[in-house]
Amino acid sequence: MSETARELDEEKTGTEGAKASGSGAPASAKPPVIELSKVRKTYFRGKEPVEVLRDLDLDIPTGSFEALMGPSGSGKSTLLNLIAGLDRASSGMVKVAGSDLSKLSESARTKWRSQNIGFIFQTFNMLPVLTAQENVELPLLLTKLSAVERRQRAQTALKIVGLEDRMDHYPRELSGGQEQRVTIARAIVTDPPILVADEPTGDLDRDSAEDILDLLVKLNREFEKTIIMVTHDPAAAERASIVRRLNKGVLV
Amino acid sequence: MRAISLGVRNVLRNRFRTSLTILGVAVAILAFVLLRTVLSAWTIAADFAAKDRVVTRHKVSFIMTLPGKYVDDVAETPGVKTALLSSWFGAKDPNHPNEFFGTIAVDPQKFFEVYDEVVVPEDQKAAFFAERRGIIIGSAVAKKLGYKVGQRLTLTGTIYPGNWDFIVSGIYDTTRQSVDKSSMFFHYDYLNEWTKQKRPRSADQVGWIISRIEKGRRPADVAKAIDTKFDDSDIQTLSQDERTFNTSFLGMISAVLKAVDVVSIVILAIMMLILGNTIAMGVRERTHEYGMLRAIGFLPKHLVIFVVGEAATVGLLGGIVGLLISYPIVEQGLGRFLEENMGAFFPYFRIDSKTPPIALTLSILLGVCAAIIPAYRASQLDVAASLRKIG
Repeated sequence: MSETARELDEEKTGTEGAKASGSGAPASAKPPVIELSKVRKTYFRGKEPVEVLRDLDLDIPTGSFEALMGPSGSGKSTLLNLIAGLDRASSGMVKVAGSDLSKLSESARTKWRSQNIGFIFQTFNMLPVLTAQENVELPLLLTKLSAVERRQRAQTALKIVGLEDRMDHYPRELSGGQEQRVTIARAIVTDPPILVADEPTGDLDRDSAEDILDLLVKLNREFEKTIIMVTHDPAAAERASIVRRLNKGVLV
Repeated sequence: MRAISLGVRNVLRNRFRTSLTILGVAVAILAFVLLRTVLSAWTIAADFAAKDRVVTRHKVSFIMTLPGKYVDDVAETPGVKTALLSSWFGAKDPNHPNEFFGTIAVDPQKFFEVYDEVVVPEDQKAAFFAERRGIIIGSAVAKKLGYKVGQRLTLTGTIYPGNWDFIVSGIYDTTRQSVDKSSMFFHYDYLNEWTKQKRPRSADQVGWIISRIEKGRRPADVAKAIDTKFDDSDIQTLSQDERTFNTSFLGMISAVLKAVDVVSIVILAIMMLILGNTIAMGVRERTHEYGMLRAIGFLPKHLVIFVVGEAATVGLLGGIVGLLISYPIVEQGLGRFLEENMGAFFPYFRIDSKTPPIALTLSILLGVCAAIIPAYRASQLDVAASLRKIG
């Protein structure tokens, strides 16, 4: 574990919830942090049901870095949303970080997300009226940390992603790669055990994409984050320890 | 950074649109302040009314006259210090046919005893007493129409037809707002002589009687005593303290005042729609961001705070800008113009002290109201769906 990694680990947010144990042992030897059993997800297009996920079983061990691949409409993002607690399964069990998400209310899931999931989006989703540091601070507004502690944690997270010299910059003053780094800093600032990344390199050039993937690998190895990444990019998927493929709602 | 500051910072996001919205709110607040000032200016004569004056008129209607001998009877009523007869003349200056000013026939000596707030230089007052055709003119109308002391002035009578020659004896000012500075006062005898010749049946009649009452007397008691005196007469009277008398005039235009009141509320409703539209546009554009905020743990109530905070800030800024432009426009520009040109109706056209806090409170409240629907929609976003939505 690097020095900055230890720094972030020591500055616990005070948020509760399950944390990955992160012993540094091989991922496959660890208990699953994500368990899906007989999961179905059906949307309705008008009155017509569209089955997106079909009886899906999946165990993801703590500390693994997994890539989800598959053609458009195969159910990758839907699966990611179920794991991240953004959506509910139509049936089956979704157990993540020790919580059965199907049994949580909407507000309980929201609170659970803030403590257990870090989000990395394709389109960054930074607030343009806030500086990089303030964007990173956003999730901490929901904690009981003081303003000073929030600022310190945000600065540490930005240091980890290599943007300590861009803290006071607004999103418009950052490159795409830098914006995605800020998004990653925002995702790890509460020290969640799981990071979900939906096409994190989709809007980036090759060099920036490689930098971001290096960072994700670092977060997985040094900070022991479990990472689930949806991607269309085979080069990105290669950086994951496990690649899973979805087709028509089933893992193949 | 605090959660509430996020809503406030969003105000600066689209500066051009926010500026236009703030300007729209500011114009609505200006219109609101203007209309409230019209209302308060209209009622201010009642507010400024002297507490020691009682006005006596015909019991049936203000336009019906009283016998001139009633003046002495009123003067003899216990509690009355001085009784002043007054008759509405109604005249136009043929050189300024579109200008309105009040012309009232009075007893010159008693006029200054009853209206001690009217100030005229002693030499001009003496000239007014001495000259049967003398007339004293309010400083506002004198300034506007260019009347000078000593000049001859011919007015055309509207109720008493013909050309009436006057000599401007003095220009009066006032120490209180209870008398406007846009009227003219002249000798009742001058009018009554004409009436005796041309309309003998209307001679020795007066429009109304104003009594100055003794210190410590209650106006209501004196008014009752006056009316009791004429209870058994053919022509009965209605006496009221000056404030009630002035307010009864407002009753005649109550429909107009009500309409002005309603218009001021309609203007605020329009302001709310302008603001609501802007906020709704902002919420639509930020669907993706709100989805992100919900994803990372913000609750629907937080989004409501962001949206409402932004709307309240825009409302407040619009209110402040509206008030800042209201003062020079209403008090310096329009106010002066109305006081000089329509002093009979608007003797004191100034923004009432209660109006700014009301306007600011309303601008914030209406901002909050305008944000209710957009805030509700933001709070009900489907998180997964809103993250898929771009733009």
